[in-house]
Amino acid sequence: MKNGAQLIAAARTQGRTALDELAGKQLLASFGVGVPKSVAVSDAAGAAQAAATLQPPLVVKVMSPDLLHKSDAGGVKLYLQNAAEVERAIAAMAATPQIRAARVDGYLIEEMAAAGQEMVVGAVRDPQFGPLVMVGLGGIFVEVLADVTFRICPITRLDAQEMLADLKGAAILRGARGRQAVSQDAIVDVLLKIGGEDGLLMRHAGDLKEADINPLIVSGSGAIAVDARFILA
Amino acid sequence: MPVAGRDIIEKFTPLFAPRTVAVIGASTKGAALPNVFIRRIREFGFAGAIYPIHPSAAEIDGLPAYRSLADTPQPVDYAYIAVSAAQIPDMLAAAAGHVRFAQVISSGFGEVDEGKDLQERLAAAARAGGMRLLGPNCLGIYTPRGKITFTEIGPREVGTVGVVSQSGGLGTDIIRRGMNRGVKFSGLVTVGNCADVGPGEMLEFYFADPQTQVIGLYIETAQDGRRLFEILRAAQAQKPVVMLKGGRTRQGLAAAASHTGSLAGDDRAWIALSRQTGCVLVDTLDEFIDALLTFQTLAPRQQQATQRVVLFGNGGGASVLATDYFARLGLEVTPFGKPTLDALAALKLPPGTSITNPVDCPVSTLQQDDGRVAEKILAEIYANGKPEALVMHLNMAAFAGRTRPEVLDNVVQAALRVQTHFPGQAHFVLVLRSDGEPQLEARKREFRAKAIALGIPVYDEMANAGHALAALQAHERFVISRSMA
Repeated sequence: MKNGAQLIAAARTQGRTALDELAGKQLLASFGVGVPKSVAVSDAAGAAQAAATLQPPLVVKVMSPDLLHKSDAGGVKLYLQNAAEVERAIAAMAATPQIRAARVDGYLIEEMAAAGQEMVVGAVRDPQFGPLVMVGLGGIFVEVLADVTFRICPITRLDAQEMLADLKGAAILRGARGRQAVSQDAIVDVLLKIGGEDGLLMRHAGDLKEADINPLIVSGSGAIAVDARFILA
Repeated sequence: MPVAGRDIIEKFTPLFAPRTVAVIGASTKGAALPNVFIRRIREFGFAGAIYPIHPSAAEIDGLPAYRSLADTPQPVDYAYIAVSAAQIPDMLAAAAGHVRFAQVISSGFGEVDEGKDLQERLAAAARAGGMRLLGPNCLGIYTPRGKITFTEIGPREVGTVGVVSQSGGLGTDIIRRGMNRGVKFSGLVTVGNCADVGPGEMLEFYFADPQTQVIGLYIETAQDGRRLFEILRAAQAQKPVVMLKGGRTRQGLAAAASHTGSLAGDDRAWIALSRQTGCVLVDTLDEFIDALLTFQTLAPRQQQATQRVVLFGNGGGASVLATDYFARLGLEVTPFGKPTLDALAALKLPPGTSITNPVDCPVSTLQQDDGRVAEKILAEIYANGKPEALVMHLNMAAFAGRTRPEVLDNVVQAALRVQTHFPGQAHFVLVLRSDGEPQLEARKREFRAKAIALGIPVYDEMANAGHALAALQAHERFVISRSMA
């Protein structure tokens, strides 16, 4: 597996301004952040064989530097139960007008994460303070209510715990209104792997302009980064 | 003290307690700003040598003048420079090795586009000449230990509050308003464009300086934001730090950019800074001064952060409003439990007295026993209600003409006696409310001074006391949470 510096160097060599999803997840995995088991294929032809190594339900996502919002472009297909469905999904995607018009690096076939609380973990590079790490609850909490909180890297475990406590939606994590409580420790661990003393952002501070892990799906026991985007500086 | 601490104190001693001061820009007519500076430091009691620098005059304001900064009989600890910007870099270059601190008051440097190169040259000249540079585009330093001041008015005593301000005008406000509210300073440095010495280094000095116990920062732009973060994070609020940050909104940012001339930080980063380092972020000049006064006067609680507050005084409506306001700030003003209520009821206070929390005592109650009644009430409140802070509020207008003048004194003295019986239990603060009538204002001023001398912080309104206690709470919470981790 490539390390962070190699992944970033490879993207730069290809003239990219961002890591593709596969590279982004490899970067996360190299810092110990959980990501779904996945295989990348270039087209429908190899899909069935690749999919056979994964545990359904599966998801297929198009990888293209031109498609920022891949689900809007018809480039995400969920709940695929077998290799044949995966193959058909890729063939159908390849035929849609937006994807045909885009540069396509390939297709990512992933095991679907179990349902859980969606979180967003992000990063920006501040001109004065260097990397900042962000956390919020996913969906409307981040998009409509902007219920997020930032810290300057590196953060401590206590900083990460206080970040979660700062969220207006903090009660949801503790299991408000009959929901199941999620593992705050798992979120804290991810925040430390991203924003801690030896974390991803401190290690690659000069190379990263922005990052989004959206969503990070958190269950009662763990967290998994389902989508990731790293913009290079 | 660690070696680094001793080093920085030694480094800045010529600034905070200079033995020799050069003044550049004073005129023979005695009307220029540098002349005013000479007059002010003499009035303030500066006993070291003052060297006016002038191209031709034999003397300035009765002092022998010298042709250049390099010509003074002794090396210059502190040079106050207020002449046109263009000539200053060469002036510093010519005095290489002869000056320790040069404070450049003049503007026309990095705060305007056409002055950016000049500022580079200024900083380079100072560096090459082995001198430290303050400013340019600032007002000066106020250091009671060194008897140097750029302001007309300022406390003579050496206090414990150290301030660094990126705005000179605001620095003046902090000293003048601070003085009237009882703040006493260990120093105030205006750093202007920060071409050399910036807030970070001053912060390091104040953390190391044994005279300084509380630190105040007014910041508009932080070129060294990362360093500021690292210094504050390493210090872990071992001394309380209060920060007033200008340019936190987009509109404020535009004003800041035209003021000190560099890019400003981002609000979310400053909030993060505050949460991670325990420095208390405040929004207004008055909150800043009130918070400094609070930390100067009250020792932070070490076991549990201040949360439960008792309001005691005259003014039912005012205390209801304050209860709401305090709640929004995260301070609880909750009704007493039965034991406290029973104990207070047993005192059989006159009708019109409300003995829940807030405790509303009309003047007719407070004047009982010439005000000493407060001791009985507060003793029960402290013993049974166990407040973490007591806010005593006195609406002075209601006392005027109805009570003997000593009643106010006695009420406060009564509270102080209760404080001594319950040491360390509750912060005791005073709100002196006035309607602005000149006579009442005069009385308030006198009474405020008395209270401050007794070690009681005084605020103008309930909301101000709320913000002050919230600042204390934020600091206490940070320190307690970090000591447990």
